[in-house]
Amino acid sequence: MLDGLSYVAIVASALVTVGAGVLFAVRRSRPRRLDTAAWVLEVILLIRAVAGAGTLLHGVKAAEPAPYLGYLIASVCVMPVALGALTEDRERWSNAVVAVAALALAVISVRLLMTWGGGRG
Amino acid sequence: MDERPAASHSGPHKVLLAFYALFVLAAGARSAFQLATELGRAPLAYSLSAVAACTYAAGWVAIRRASVGRTGFASVMLWVELAGVLAVGTLSLVRSSWFADASVWSEYGVGYGFVPAVLPVAGLFWLRHQRRGGRRPGSPVPTGTP
Repeated sequence: MLDGLSYVAIVASALVTVGAGVLFAVRRSRPRRLDTAAWVLEVILLIRAVAGAGTLLHGVKAAEPAPYLGYLIASVCVMPVALGALTEDRERWSNAVVAVAALALAVISVRLLMTWGGGRG
Repeated sequence: MDERPAASHSGPHKVLLAFYALFVLAAGARSAFQLATELGRAPLAYSLSAVAACTYAAGWVAIRRASVGRTGFASVMLWVELAGVLAVGTLSLVRSSWFADASVWSEYGVGYGFVPAVLPVAGLFWLRHQRRGGRRPGSPVPTGTP
């Protein structure tokens, strides 16, 4: 289930990255729809983090426990910080910031898969 | 004082700031963990990662200052950062025995898709544009007074 959630997060991150990148490329200001997509991605990552933390609390160990925990925390912090820094900015470049944040989350989600390594009971 | 806050003005520096914030997080967490748990394994590499994290934090501050016209700190920090990436990247290739494990800037940041090498160069291009008066109309005008 955790791996499945990670794959969903990777796909969602990639979609937000591409969407924000396209909006930046066509010089559009940031639409509310992109914010909604970014928050949907955040919810997916939050579910992934809660499920991941729950699994750890039940005694299942990650292949690389400390980095895994670090990535788990980072996965839920990046997008709120990025959107928080853009509250007064809806201009073209804010799309690029969302794209960078989403790309980072795609990488973090891949690293979550790698450091989890299927878990060890 | 009727000065607009820096956060209200948009531009490429926002993307640079996002990258720098990410690298403060990535390099800082990585080096803190490695220094705390396995310092003896590769002390040079892990210490250099910590230096990289500090450089990114200083770079973030420098770019934020430069975005409102105070470019002095950024013009130093970005060159320091570029020199660090090039020096550590070259050392990691010609003196690989010194690096028992990779640092953030090893092989010019290959572990991070070479973003560490591109970032200071992009910052220096932006800074040059900034100095030539490429700031957006309506953005705060540097006065040079405190």
